[in-house]
Amino acid sequence: MEKDTLLLLEKVNQLHLEDAEKETVLTFFAQQEQNAAILETIDTTNTERMVHVLPILTVVREDVAQKLFTRDELQRGAPETMDGYWQVPRVVE
Amino acid sequence: MKFETVIGLEVHVEMATKSKIFCSCSAEFGGEQNDHVCPACCGMPGMLPIVNKNVVNLGMTAGMMLNCHINRTTTFDKKSYYYPDLPAAYQTTQWFAPIAVNGTVEIETTKGKKAIRIKQIHMEEDAGKLVHDDWTDTTLVDFNRTSVPLIEIVSQPDLSSAEEVVAYLERLRSLLRFAKVSDCRMEQGSMRCDVNLSVRPEGSQVLGVRTEMKNMNSLSAIVRAIEYETARHIDAIENGTEELVQETRRWDDVKGKSLAMRSKETAGDYRYFPDPNVMPIVIDDNWYNGIKNSLPEFPEVKKARYTAELGLSDYDAGILTDSRALCDCFEAALTVCGSAKEAANWLISDCMNVLNKKQLTADQLTVNGKALGQLIKLVTDGKVGRGNAKKILEVLFETDVDPAVYAEENGLIVSNDTGLIETVIKEAIAADPKAVADFKGGKEKALMALFGKCMKQLKGNCDPQVLRALLIDEINKA
Repeated sequence: MEKDTLLLLEKVNQLHLEDAEKETVLTFFAQQEQNAAILETIDTTNTERMVHVLPILTVVREDVAQKLFTRDELQRGAPETMDGYWQVPRVVE
Repeated sequence: MKFETVIGLEVHVEMATKSKIFCSCSAEFGGEQNDHVCPACCGMPGMLPIVNKNVVNLGMTAGMMLNCHINRTTTFDKKSYYYPDLPAAYQTTQWFAPIAVNGTVEIETTKGKKAIRIKQIHMEEDAGKLVHDDWTDTTLVDFNRTSVPLIEIVSQPDLSSAEEVVAYLERLRSLLRFAKVSDCRMEQGSMRCDVNLSVRPEGSQVLGVRTEMKNMNSLSAIVRAIEYETARHIDAIENGTEELVQETRRWDDVKGKSLAMRSKETAGDYRYFPDPNVMPIVIDDNWYNGIKNSLPEFPEVKKARYTAELGLSDYDAGILTDSRALCDCFEAALTVCGSAKEAANWLISDCMNVLNKKQLTADQLTVNGKALGQLIKLVTDGKVGRGNAKKILEVLFETDVDPAVYAEENGLIVSNDTGLIETVIKEAIAADPKAVADFKGGKEKALMALFGKCMKQLKGNCDPQVLRALLIDEINKA
């Protein structure tokens, strides 16, 4: 991972990393890239994809609509609301 | 130099389910803002998705209708997404093992038939709605649409003109509506498409620089956008008016031009990874065969059968097979009344008139087909007059009643009381001697005037042929 990418991720995820922490992250990802490069050398032609590490399947539910929460209940913890909408900083210039 | 346009489409279709894809909130269009929401579709921490089985059913149905291979083990993945209309900051979609792959759709244009290859169909959740409020300079978020189930149908770049794109979208719409996968109402956004377009010298195998126009939801706008974008690309290549770059553009239908939005993301930018919260879905033989056996007859196969076996005209068969609801009603009515021609006429003429009055589409027809068949039989058996049958039909649009019982209870059964009919005729003749004289003098219209007055007096409850015969007899006696 390039330092610029880390700085971008730090910004978009609203994190604050000390310089030493940044170095740790960059070293970690550099190691993972090396590991990935080793994996890339393995011939996986005709190898069936592993869809999950455990032999478990999802559960499904029937298509029945239910109203389990009111808008007021859900918006109780919202920082800002307006006319029933969640209100957030403007996302489009 | 001659150029050819290369177009691939990504078509998003909202599935016709009652509830959302991963929670049981209503998937119905509209409603008060944030009325169809719960902690799961609001992306609150700790909430786990539970897959709606009907979404998988409809995904498989769509795949089979488009001649795809169905992946019997299908999985969901997370796609990074940094807008507040999907508050979990990712979209749950399918990347590594979509529900269906490698299909074809045959289209027909003025240049003949052409097969368009389908790369894949994947199931995913829709995003919510953002309203940008200038007054407060904030964005308002409505999560009603968040997690409403979608399928995205990705074509190969096999389309080469606006005409082909329209034919392809109309074909998709017809097949998906027929299979009840979606109502495909572009005006409500339940069918919308992204147009990927590039231009290259005719005969070249190398693809040109591709631009994408997102969220197009009107056929006429799509046509205009493709024509504009094709001309822009050719102008850039031939005259160097601008440098073409791979990017996402927005079509402004009012200004009639496309505008750059952002540089086009690639798959890597989305950082797909398997969703650890949704386990793999394995479709066993029972499940697969259940869906396969429930597929409807394709519209063109049905149309051919209606003309060859039932003797309908090409025109009538075409109208009926344009809508699954009309076909279902027609076939149910036919089993009761036994006359394909009568059933088709009632649907195409009378039912469509009522639908038009109610500003509904054919797909919104709710009349019970068997009840319609009973009504038609009452008319052909001479038990209910056609005028009264139309009144009963309007009732059938509102409630599922037995037409015979309704006619009986409301005095709409044709009267066999010839005594009453003769009395009415005598009164009509006595009241209008001029009409009688005119008819005797050869004016056929005069008979119709008397006929109308008698029928009105009898409230339509009379066999028209019986009334006419008795009326002529009585006039001749006069």
